[in-house]
Formats: sequence, structure tokens, C-alpha cells
Amino acid sequence: MPETLLAFGQKSGIYDFMHSAWGWPTVESLHFMGLCVLIGTVGMFDLRMLGLARGIPIHALHKLVPWGIAGYCLNVTTGFMFVVSAPDQYLFNPAFQVKLSLMVLAGINVLFFYRFVFGPVKAAGATAVPPTARTVAAVSLTCWVGVIVCGRLITYYRPPYHWCFWC
Amino acid sequence: MPMDYLVWLEETPFSTWMRESGPAFFSSLVFHSVAMGFVVGVHVATDLRILGVAPRVPLSLMRRFFSVLWVNLVVVSLSGVLLLAAYPAKALTNPVFYFKLAAVVAALAITRSLLRGLLREPRYDDDPAPRKARLLAALSLALWAAAVTSGRLLAYTHNMMMASHQY
Repeated sequence: MPETLLAFGQKSGIYDFMHSAWGWPTVESLHFMGLCVLIGTVGMFDLRMLGLARGIPIHALHKLVPWGIAGYCLNVTTGFMFVVSAPDQYLFNPAFQVKLSLMVLAGINVLFFYRFVFGPVKAAGATAVPPTARTVAAVSLTCWVGVIVCGRLITYYRPPYHWCFWC
Repeated sequence: MPMDYLVWLEETPFSTWMRESGPAFFSSLVFHSVAMGFVVGVHVATDLRILGVAPRVPLSLMRRFFSVLWVNLVVVSLSGVLLLAAYPAKALTNPVFYFKLAAVVAALAITRSLLRGLLREPRYDDDPAPRKARLLAALSLALWAAAVTSGRLLAYTHNMMMASHQY
């Protein structure tokens, strides 16, 4: 797995770019900006469903979410660039493993939200929030904050000095 | 900033503890990153709304998200001071650090002026924001991007880690 990712990084030129003078810091800065956009859109939407800023119609605020998806895509792309440029530092890192698990959980939560919750929320009118929606919002916010926490801790739990789930 | 003062500062027991305790240093980093997400996030949401995204969100109600901004501004400042305490010379001898502070101050000055004017005007709840306000919102986004980028660059552009042993 690390070999495959590294080979891809080297073949695609990502590895060389990332290890050039300004590669890593530039991509990190973009990763941080994507994070801010995600919190500013999806995070604010979650806070609204949790009861903050009552009075703002939920479906109107939802128009911010496509920007959050853009931020998410930016971060998946930039995150992938980190991983293929130093796979060992990520795959065997407990902070990274927890981070990916939280992203999977957040993804399932998103699917659940659009399949079962968003329809009733829209149907319930401009401002009412059913309890399921609050739970979904709390899970979403917890996951994304957890993702930031784990992301920041990747440099703390650097392998090979720490344990991980499969080594 | 005189070097002897920086040497004295980094030799205080608190500064030494901030530097040498992994949990103290990394929890400050974690709080700084999460709070950054919310500080910049509230601005992303508000600025996007001023720029015409999610036009059916009543603009004056965006102020209801600002409690999140103030709380996180306190957290980001306190954690920033703690990080500064760990390596005072690293930041204080780096021009990028002053650029970051200037960008944050300028961005917050824009927020203040928007809070005093545009965001209190119910007539812009439905009507598009005036051109001047849109320019300020765009400038605000650019300043936050500059602040985030220069913050990240602090890890790469420092002239020294510590004043007592310069390397």
C-alpha cells in the first residue's frame, strides 16, 4: 500500500512538487483554507440546525453547502498530495487513521441526512428543526472538529515512534 | 526586539514548559487550528452572503452567528499567545508574523465596519448588498486567506528557533 501510493506520487510528479522549496507549505495553506470554507458553510449549517441563528430559513442557508463541498474537494485533493508524498508518515499514524475514520463517519452521516432528514426539514417549513436533524448536525460538527484535531495531531504521533491499528 | 529580552523570555519556567511538554504545546496548536476554522468560517459565511451567495438568508440575521466568532476569537488569541510563549524569538524575529497580525487586524476592522453598517440594515435582507460592501467582503476573504497562509508559513520562514541558541 505505501509503495503503491509512493510510486503514484513519484510517477505523477506530485512527490517532486511537494518536496520542492515551496510545495509543501503552499499545499498546506490551501488545505487550511479549505478547512475554513468547510467550517464556514457546513459548520454554520450544522450550528443552525442545532438551534443557533434561529430565524434563518434552513433551506436558504443550505445554499452555502455547495461551497463547503468545494472546500471538501480541495482538501481531499491537497490531502492526497501529502499522503502520496510521504505515505509511511500517514498510513502508520494513529492520528491519520482516526481522522480517516471520522471522515467515513461524516460521509455516512451526510448520506443519512440527504436520504432521510433534509426532506422532512424542508417540508416542516422555514425554521422548524426535528430532533433527528439536531442529532445529524451534532454528529457532523463533532466529526469535522475531530478531523481538524486529528489532522493537527498527525505531526505529534509521527511513526515509527507510536502504535497504530495495524502495525 | 532586543535579543537579551527574548533570551530571558524563553528561559522563564513557563516558556520552557510550553516548549518541552508535548501535550501543552500540541493542545495549544489544536485549539489554535479549530478556533481558526470557526473564526475564519464565520467570516466565510458572512462574506459569501454579502457577495450574493444564499441570497434568501436575511443578511441582518447573519449577526446571530457572531457569538461563535467572539468565543473562538478569544480561544485563537489565547492559544496564539501560548504558542508565542513557547518560541518567542521564532515568531518575533520573523516579518511574516507581523504581516499575519496586520492581516488579521485589517480583516477585523472590516468586520467592525460591516457590523456597524450593512449588517444592521434590514433593507439589505432582500436587496443585494451595495458595491462598496461587496468589495469589503471580497477584501475580507483575501485578508483571511493571507492570514491563514502567513500563519502556516511561520513554520517555514523563521530565522531562528530560539534566541539563546541561534540556528
